Order: sequence, then structure tokens, then C-alpha cells
Amino acid sequence: MDIHAAKAQVEADIQNVTSAETLEGFRLKYLGRKGVIAELTGSIPGLPQEERGRFGQEVNALKNRVNALIADKLKALSQADTAASSAAGGSEIFMPGIAQDLGRLHPLTQIIDEICGIFTQMGFSVVEGPEIETEFNNFTGLNIPLDHPSRDAFDTFYLKDYSKLLLRSHTSPVQIRAMKSRKPPLAIVVPGRVYRPDAVDASHSFMFHQIEGFMVDTDIKFSDLKGVLETFAKGVFGQDIRMRFRPHFFPFTEPSAEVDISCIICKGKGCSVCGRKGWLEVLGSGMIHPNVFRHVGIEPKKFTGFAFGMGVERIAMLKYGINDIRLFAENDLRFLRQF
Amino acid sequence: MKFTYNWLKDFVDIKITPQLLAEKLTMAGLEVTALEGKGGDFVFEMEITSNRPDWLSVIGIAREVAAITGEKLSRYPVTPLSRSNRQTGKQANRLTIKIEDKLDCPLYTGKIIRGVKVGLSPKWLKERLELIDCRSINNVVDITNYVLFTWGEPLHAFDLDKLSGDEIIIRRAKSSEKLFTIDGIQRDLNSGILIIADSKQPVAIAGVMGGKDTEVTESTKNILLEAAVFNAVVVRTGRQKLGLSTDSSYRFERGVDFETAEGSSWKAVSLIEELAGAKCALAKSVGSPKPKAKSIVLDLYLVEKILNLKIPQGKIKKILVNLGFGVKGPSKNKMAVNIPLFREDVENPEGLIEEIARIYGYEAIRQTLPMVSPRVSACQVRDLVSLTKNILVGLDLYEVITYSLIDRDLSTGFPGGESQAVAIMNPLSKEQEVLRTGLAPSLARCVAYNLNQKQDYVNIFEVANVFSPGAKVPREELALGIALSGTKSLLLEQGLVKEEAGFLHVKGIVEKLFERLGIKDYDFNPVGAHMIEIVVKSDIAGKMIRLEEATLNKFDIKNKDVFIAEVSLDKLFAAADLQKRFAAPPKYPGIARDISFVLKEGLSLKDILVSVREKGLPLLREAKIVDYYKGKQIPLGLRSLTVACVYRSDERTLTEAEVNPVHAGVISVLTERFGAKIR
Repeated sequence: MDIHAAKAQVEADIQNVTSAETLEGFRLKYLGRKGVIAELTGSIPGLPQEERGRFGQEVNALKNRVNALIADKLKALSQADTAASSAAGGSEIFMPGIAQDLGRLHPLTQIIDEICGIFTQMGFSVVEGPEIETEFNNFTGLNIPLDHPSRDAFDTFYLKDYSKLLLRSHTSPVQIRAMKSRKPPLAIVVPGRVYRPDAVDASHSFMFHQIEGFMVDTDIKFSDLKGVLETFAKGVFGQDIRMRFRPHFFPFTEPSAEVDISCIICKGKGCSVCGRKGWLEVLGSGMIHPNVFRHVGIEPKKFTGFAFGMGVERIAMLKYGINDIRLFAENDLRFLRQF
Repeated sequence: MKFTYNWLKDFVDIKITPQLLAEKLTMAGLEVTALEGKGGDFVFEMEITSNRPDWLSVIGIAREVAAITGEKLSRYPVTPLSRSNRQTGKQANRLTIKIEDKLDCPLYTGKIIRGVKVGLSPKWLKERLELIDCRSINNVVDITNYVLFTWGEPLHAFDLDKLSGDEIIIRRAKSSEKLFTIDGIQRDLNSGILIIADSKQPVAIAGVMGGKDTEVTESTKNILLEAAVFNAVVVRTGRQKLGLSTDSSYRFERGVDFETAEGSSWKAVSLIEELAGAKCALAKSVGSPKPKAKSIVLDLYLVEKILNLKIPQGKIKKILVNLGFGVKGPSKNKMAVNIPLFREDVENPEGLIEEIARIYGYEAIRQTLPMVSPRVSACQVRDLVSLTKNILVGLDLYEVITYSLIDRDLSTGFPGGESQAVAIMNPLSKEQEVLRTGLAPSLARCVAYNLNQKQDYVNIFEVANVFSPGAKVPREELALGIALSGTKSLLLEQGLVKEEAGFLHVKGIVEKLFERLGIKDYDFNPVGAHMIEIVVKSDIAGKMIRLEEATLNKFDIKNKDVFIAEVSLDKLFAAADLQKRFAAPPKYPGIARDISFVLKEGLSLKDILVSVREKGLPLLREAKIVDYYKGKQIPLGLRSLTVACVYRSDERTLTEAEVNPVHAGVISVLTERFGAKIR
């Protein structure tokens, strides 16, 4: 073959290479023992002395060109079809990927962030408070008389050597702090650790987390409480859940309500998680009691408000299907990696 | 609290099924926790909120059912107050009732009933009590229990002939006194406990439990029947001191009213007369005058305003009347509502609004979204905590949450572990003894747990408050703890690389965090082989530690080292600088030169880099350690290092000729000032 014809032919042939097999055919045609390059090289001795040098260089250039085309095509083929490239010996992609490892946030932090996120979208601010509290902020200010049975629900750790100081048994004392230090209108959520002297078992712990929320303004109504909590519950548990508000008693709210959502496991049909009731209790709530306003110096005739509180562990357990509260404090990496 | 469907039907007509009734009660705030068909009847189990002692009786529930279903209460108990203080029969009956303090006991009534034939209860009574799991004892005791569950007044019957003298005294106990109670336990009494005494000694703990010596037995002929109102707080503190809770104390500490006490006692008298062939011979009542019922003015506008719901006035009135409230009006959109004594819990208009809403149905209240005036504030602590946590997660650490309360012994063996911790007055166990002063012990325990679960590499952090004693109030400080232990396996292109956690890994994490928080002025200061102080702006902000052998043994950690960093986030955040300022990327290329040299170990590399940068001014823009080596080919006590230098100008492209003399100067600093040998 004439060198110029060969040059043109190479460029034309490579266009028809579509697989590893046709590529091998291409290689043999040009680089094989009886291939075009070998033939051209073999023709050199028959050339006039003065042409041999230049011709030799041209053949060499053609050989390099063929090699480069083969390499390019090989790469293109392996990229185009990784399975095919496996046969061609390029199966790297099946090996484990290489990247920096990432840790995880604790599931309770994720739930707290999610819930606070929903409320901040509604315009609430996130506020935090100390874990060591006064008896006043934890009880009296919240209209919980110290010697009333309603206090039994808030069993409390007291501090030795510090009179009337305790570990908060709920996040509600932050209501007192915030209402004393800020002026209405208020829309606040409060996440945090709380403590109660409970023996630890699958559903109890002496330390757990709550999220408290409250809103105070001149015209806050019970219907606002319902609307805000519905927005929250649908945000966390999905748009298709149903809710119900049941009258209840909390010393710091009146009227008070417990909030149930339709069981997210059985969709309300009744299962072991909801105790065959079809409903799951997720929140306590109500309109802020006028006595609470009086304790913080807010005029109850002028302002109304609602407040609510929930256990973060309970929400996390329901949402993720976790059946033992102790897992949260155990911090088994095999548990933490799931979230 | 338990009651049965048929028991309830004694007082109110019910035309709905027990199941539907349970549903309606729950939605009115009387949560039915269980409903069970039993013995041809249905047993309801309720969870009664602590504000409603009146619901701790069948009559109280019946009143509620009447309000919910619109039925009328039938056979409502009359209160025969007119029958107080009467005497019948020929026998001389003497009874003196002395109340030491009427605050402790506002009302005490005693009735002498003679000719009692103690025996088995009739079938209906026995069955009723047994359905609600109350053991039948004898007709007299069963009647007092039946009255307790039906009308809510705890009664007590003494064997009259076993009481000494004709005197009943309601007083505080003396600290030397003891009482053998019906449950067969000897109780040590004290002045915090209110008792009933005869002329000699205590015979009952007021409102809690009677004494064994004076209880009604098969041989009892005459009884003294007690119905009283005891101070709720006194009963509560008394039973707490005794560690004893009974059906009786449960009701007294929630509140029992005068009318209930009087009325129930007469109900019991007629039942005892009827079922035990006895005759009431004397009735005495001592105490404060009956309290006056409160009256609350209810503005109907407020009802509508708070509930955002218009309820017809007639409906409001009907609900309140059915619940036992006295209602006058409405006039000028206001009602005067008389609060019956059994509804002490209703103290204000809001309490009445709750009653109206509860019976009308919370589901009738619509849903609205309030106008919120958002307050957007600049970066707060919570945002910095969130940023910190996310940086650490990005550095391959898992967040843990451990208990703030720990066993005092857990912190021994940790730096500062011996320091005073704030103690808990009433821990349930040793694990809740003190508030932790640091995070390291909890993290070490968490590491030990995970190593024990056969994890090769444990990489965790926690952000939580730590506590230390303070003058008036303990100090609460936000802390960050990081713990690393074990071997991290990295599968790279060249194959498996195993990397054992060490101080440098912890240091690297801390430095990355500081970099991201904009903390530039910091230093690491070794204190002994196991501890390195972290100094931020010349203040000790934390420390890095390697657990000592003894501590590792304590946690049962074998063949592994544990490295922990603990820093005060309060201090870090105070030093943080998150202000970002733009600087244009370099316009002209730089010239890079590496210097490889051998240096004595133990010299501060930070000082060396500072000197190098100073010397190279103004062209030297970067100087950092890019490689180090110790071991083969390097003599003992020396270390091989490579420092990468970049020279650059903002005005022009530098030439080799300009850089060479500066670079030579930099090298001379290394050789002359620090004794480095260039390789």
C-alpha cells in the first residue's frame, strides 16, 4: 500500500471500530506481523537511498498514529461500556470507591434539628436554657403548687448543698425565663435535656430530651394552637396522618389538650405500638394559664398564648421504629450508623 | 380508677354501648385506658387527672356522662345535713370530738352505730367490689368501700368497744408514738403526721389507714363510723413520710369536700342499717363552717375569643348546668356561674371555658395559623454548636449523647477527676450520684463499650453541659469532647492502609475545627506524657489526654490506646471569628522551593516556621511542613523534614534570580539558628 493511501485508510478504518474485537482487527491490519506497517517497512530497502530517511520517518509517524488511535479507542470503549471493559481488563469500577469517611449526628440531634426547623419555618425562634433550675421556674412560676399531686408527674432531682436548686424536670422553665426577659409577641421553641428520677428500662430514662414551644400575643386562640401543631405533626410524620385533641390537665395551661396522631405503623387500625387504639399520644398542649402570665408580669387580660411540649425520644422512637429508649444513651456505633 | 357499666347505670340512663361510651369519655378528658367485658358487666379502667378528685367516684363519672349524652342524673344523693348531730335510742351515747387544728381537719363527723351483725356481704355488693378488684372482707368494711367508690368519700369504721374513753382527738402525732396499722406494719409516727387518737393513743393515720387494734372484726358489735375532710397537703406529706398510698389518701390529697363527706356518711349509715341490722345511735359533727361556694362571672365574648368558636348561649348554659354548676343569666352577654364545692379545681373563667369546650368537643374548634412576628438574630450559640457538630461529622466523627449524671467513681483517673462535683440529693442509684465535671469519663466508657462490641475503630464526640460547684449556683459550661481509639482501615488505590489513632489525629481534628471557627491564636502545650493543654489566646481552653494504663484497666480496655480531647466551647466561641473578608487570588505565579533537612527532635516546629516566614518577608508567602520522617537512614534523636516554600509578588512575576538570595537566607535560618543539616 502506498503510504499516503495508508494514512487515509487508518483514519477511515478507526471510525468503524466499535468493539474490542474490531479494535483487535484494526491492530492486526496495521501493526500485525504481516500488517501494513510491516509491509511499508519492508519496502524501504527497495527505495532510492535519498528517499529512505524521509520515508522511514513517515512510516514511523504512521505507526505512532496507529498506536495513539488504539489507546484512545481503548479508553473510549472502556468508558462507554464498563461491562465490556471488564473483558478488556479494566474492571476498576467494581472495586470499593475511595472517599473520606463521614460521621453522623446522633438521631436525637437530627430529630431536634428537624422539629426546630419546622417551627423556625413558621417564624419561631429557638431559645435554650440552663439545666440547673430554681424551684420557682420549674414549679411555682408554672402554676404547679409544690405540695399538690400534680407535681408527682414531675418527679425531680434536687441538688445537694444548694437550697431550692434542681435539675429541670421539663423544658417549661424556659417559658418563665423567656417571658420574663422578652416582651410579647413571642414565638419560641426550646429543645433540651431534662431529668427525672426514674429507673431505667426500655421506655424510661432518668435523662431525656424535650421540645417546648409557646406563643404569646394579644390575640392567640385555641384554633391557632391546633393549626400550628397540625402543621408540625404533618411536617414530621407525613401529610396523611390524622390528629385529635383530647381534653387533659396540665397545671400551666387552661384549656389543656393532649394531642394524638393516627398510628403511623397501622394507620389507625390498631396494633401493638398504639396499644390497639389506633392513636399515638405525641404532645401535651394548651392555652397558657393566666397564673403563669401573672408570675412573669404579663397582663393576662391583654395577652393570650399557647404552649406545648413533647418528648424527643418518643418522637424518634415512633419515627424510626426504635423499641428501646436505652439505645439512645448506649451509643453503639452500629446503632448510630443507621441514622 | 375502675368502675362498671351497670354501676354507672344506677345513676344515669345510658343508651349507648360501653365501647362508644368509652370513646366519648376519652374525648371529654376522662381517658379510658381499658374496657373489659366481665361477669355480665363491663369494667372501665380510667386515668383520672390530678385536678379532678370528683372523677374518682361513680357519681362523678355519671355526672359527666349526663353532660356528654344530655341525659339527666337520676337518684342523685341527697345531702341530709339536717340529720347532723342527732341522738336516738335509750342508751347513753357519749362521744366528744376534739380537733386540735381545724386547718388540718376542717370537718370530722362520727356516728355511733350499735347492734352491728358483721357477716358476709350480699351477692350484689360482693360482685360489684370484686369486678373492680376490691377484695370483699365483711359487710361493714365492704359498705365503707362501696361508698368510697360510689361517692368518693373515704370512710373509716372503728370497733367502738375497742376505743379507750369517749373521746376522739384529731391531732399531730408525737415523735415517740407508734401505730400498728391494718396492713400489719408497725409505723413510727412524728409531728408531720396527722392522726386520730382515742383518749390513750393513736388509732388511725388520718386519711391514710386505720389501726389494727381497733379494726372491725367478726366479733364487732358497735362501730364508730368516721367521715371527715382532712387537709390535702397534710395527708400528702404524711403518706409520703410513711411511704404509703391508699385509696383513701389518694382521694384526700386531691381534695374531698364537705357535702360529699356528710352525704356519703349518711349513705353508709343507711346501708349498714339495712345490711347489718344495726341502728345509728348518735351522730356528731365538728369542724369549721361549710365553705361558701365561689361564683365566677363568665364573659361569653371571652369564650368565643379564646376558642375562636361561636357556641349558642343556650348550649353553654346547658353544658354548665349538666356538669353541676349553678348558672344565672346570661345578661349583657355575661353569666354568673356558681361553682359547686366538688369543683374546687375551677378557679377562673378559663377553667369554665375548658369545661364548655371539653363537652362541646375540641374537634369542633377550627384550625388557624397565627400571625407570627419573626425575630431573626445573628449567629447564636446554637448556630455555633450546630456548625461545630457538622464540622466534626465531616471529619468522620459520630455524635454521642451520654448521661450528665454519673457515678462519682467514674471520673477517677482522669485529669481533674478528683475535683468536687455537684451532688444530687435524691439519686435513685449510684449511677445518678453527681453531675459530671467533664465529658472524658463518659466518652471513655462509650469507647470501652464499642471496643467490647468488636469495633476496630471508635471515633466519637459529644457536645454537652458540664457542671462545677459555684458560690450560689453551680457553674454550667458548654463543653466539647472528642475520643478516638483503635485502628482506622483505609482502602486506597495502593491497597489497605491501617492507621492507628494517636495524639496527632486528635490534634488534626482540633486544628481543623479551629481553622473553620477562625481561631488563629492557639498552641499545644505538653504537660507530661499523657496530657497536652490546648491554649487559646493565652488561656487554657482544654486538653488532650491519652488514658493511663490504670484508667484503661478500669474500663477493661485491652491493647488499645484511647485519646480524648476536651475543650470549653464557651471559650472557643468567645475566641471564634466567623467574619469573612475577601482577598483576591494571586495575580502572578509563585515560585515553589522545597527544603529537606535533618533536625534535632524536640524543637518547636511552630517557632521554626515563624522564623522562616519572618526571614523570607516579603516574598515568602507560604511555608509549611509537607513531609517528615524518622527511622532508618536518620540517626537516633534526629528527624528528617521537608518544608515547602512559595515565593510570590503581587506586582510582577518573580524571577529565579530574585528568589535565590531570599531562599538562601531562609536556609541559613534553618542551619544557623536551629542547627538543621540540609539533605
